[in-house]
Amino acid sequence: MLVDFELIKRAQTGDNAAFNQIVLAYRKRTLGTIARLISRPEDVEDVGQEVFMRLYFSLDQLRTAEVFEPWLYRLTVNAAYDYLRKHRRRMESRMSDLSEQQVVMADAAAGGRVDKDFRRRAQVRETVDALLSAVPEADRILLTLKEVEGLSLKELEKVYRVNENALKVRLFRARQRVLKAFANAGGEAQGKGTARAGN
Amino acid sequence: MQRNQRGDENASLDALLQAYRDACPAPDPSANFMPEVWRRIEERQRSIFYMARWARGFATAAAVLSLAMAAWLYIPHGRTSVFYVESYVEAISAGHSSDSPDLAEPIVDEL
Repeated sequence: MLVDFELIKRAQTGDNAAFNQIVLAYRKRTLGTIARLISRPEDVEDVGQEVFMRLYFSLDQLRTAEVFEPWLYRLTVNAAYDYLRKHRRRMESRMSDLSEQQVVMADAAAGGRVDKDFRRRAQVRETVDALLSAVPEADRILLTLKEVEGLSLKELEKVYRVNENALKVRLFRARQRVLKAFANAGGEAQGKGTARAGN
Repeated sequence: MQRNQRGDENASLDALLQAYRDACPAPDPSANFMPEVWRRIEERQRSIFYMARWARGFATAAAVLSLAMAAWLYIPHGRTSVFYVESYVEAISAGHSSDSPDLAEPIVDEL
């Protein structure tokens, strides 16, 4: 845990300085999670601010220290869901447009500034985003939390408040779907390439 | 053979997801992050305050209206007619005066 429970208790009593410290401790990690969940870099901060605003108003419901982090993950996941739900239509209508990443890449390429590493990262992001789009939104978020964020089943159990077996089944199904999409897209070679490039 | 292929695919997918994690580093928050968080909190607090005030006003108005209606119903009005003063039993007995035992004729046994 990045902060001690005393600080949380102080924030619960209305100490704004303590709340500021909690936000400062967790904002980078939370923004990273959001970035991987929503895949729209330009909106990450907006969703992050929403998460901490919700945290402020629900902090008094927290009883024990050990549930703080799963609970913050839960707020993050819910805010990401809300964002994705709200922006689904807009995102669909923008599918034909270039993504911001692609625009940046195109600009950089035009200026001869695009480096190999940047290109590889962008390619990995696009490949994984495309693969994860093969599963429903809820499963995609679950899979991202498990496989990319590295949360354990025990932690996921606290975040989702469902038993481990149900999570295992959902994760297995989601992974099978992604694997199928991976095989269909001939992703194996790509994956090996990116993994090799990553090493 | 197929199991080996599946295993390879699994390993490749794991490697790809790991590469994805590295390719999506946590973005640095802008300088405006904290002020914007506090602006949102204050905005929400204001809307909660106004909502609570509106709800209190609405509840008070509803209570006053209820009391006024109750008073209007229970306070006797000048134009009250006999009809409203009579009880149900009185009204029934007035409508069926022949049912009154005083006026009932004796039974005549004609045998």
